Amino acid sequence: MQNRLKTLHFELTDPFDNVQVVICCKRFLKDLGFGEAQQYLIASAVSELSTNIIRYAGKGTISIGTTYRNGTVGFVVAARDDGPGIPDLKKAMAENYSSGKGLGLGLPSVKRIMDEFEIHSTPGQGTRVTAIKWLE
Amino acid sequence: MTNYIRIIDTDLAVHVLEHLPTPVMAVNREMELVFLNEAGLKHIGRSWEEVKGKPCKDILQSRHCGTSECKMRQVMDGGQVATVRNEMKINGRTVPVEYTAAALKDQDGTIVGGVEYIIDITERVRQEKKLQEQSKTIREISTPAIKLWDRMVILPVVGVVDSQRAQQMMSAMLQKIMATAAKVIILDIQGVAAMDTAVANHLIKIAKATKLMGCRCIISGITPAVAETLVQLGIELTDIDTNSTLQDSLFDAFSLLDLTVTPKGSKQ
Repeated sequence: MQNRLKTLHFELTDPFDNVQVVICCKRFLKDLGFGEAQQYLIASAVSELSTNIIRYAGKGTISIGTTYRNGTVGFVVAARDDGPGIPDLKKAMAENYSSGKGLGLGLPSVKRIMDEFEIHSTPGQGTRVTAIKWLE
Repeated sequence: MTNYIRIIDTDLAVHVLEHLPTPVMAVNREMELVFLNEAGLKHIGRSWEEVKGKPCKDILQSRHCGTSECKMRQVMDGGQVATVRNEMKINGRTVPVEYTAAALKDQDGTIVGGVEYIIDITERVRQEKKLQEQSKTIREISTPAIKLWDRMVILPVVGVVDSQRAQQMMSAMLQKIMATAAKVIILDIQGVAAMDTAVANHLIKIAKATKLMGCRCIISGITPAVAETLVQLGIELTDIDTNSTLQDSLFDAFSLLDLTVTPKGSKQ
């Protein structure tokens, strides 16, 4: 089981690549000890990040792994792309904002679902998102 | 610390490079050929005398040659060792290749040229294409719209929904509604692996489109996990009928069609 909890990397280039991310993510969360509802919730947040990469940057990577703090284990996801970046991060993190194709709920909902959320985006260079969910 | 002195038999080293069964090439800073092994010469079908000292782009004629994509140029300008894909013309045939380029340095560490080896990846590319085709096939067969009863259609959604698949689901559903004159459709999402805003958006669109065709849409399979996720995502399915189980949805669908299911024998 320890072996399985090693960091997993996914290269995303096609919408279909999200399948692998979501399925592996759920298995990973299950092994980590998250309950069924939590698995679904967190996998949905990861799916949001991976869909964003494919939709806006065309390609990028998703990494999932574990992290520890004060004896608590956490699930960590890192999304990175070298795409166009987000011109107005504040706006993108505001509820109901969308640059066009979605419901405009994407990034704020990832932030809401996860315990910790960090985003860096440079227009023309890409976006990096790191988020953690602690196992209660 | 032990100082290892590597004594290299240069004749042997050249012999090894010559017989490596894949093209190995070295150029000077001016991008002129200073070495090309046997496999490389065989690929381009020329002798060493013919190509010696010639600009490598004239010899290889790959897609990267003479462009900013050329990794050889990049490593000579101080870039990292890199492996990239490329295409080369070999005997008039375009062949997918992968090449790895590294800088050639003298004893002082000054870059004096570059070296690369080229691998034919025809087989790998063929396998990738096959895999892509299979993925596409899976996508296509995974959106069945089934007529469940007179004027009732069900679309079980399993796995991961992406925009392409959602589009297929939508058209499969709408065509089935048309073909069967359905009045009720059940969209069963119990088997959906995750619910992000894109998936929710697609489901809402499907529900709206079916409504436009005069058909009621019931989304079934809203498990506790799905419900919680939808709430967390801030998605409202206000205009859409939802149920937790397929059984409940089926019951509602029968009601909408003014049908009741009664146990055998309890006539009347």
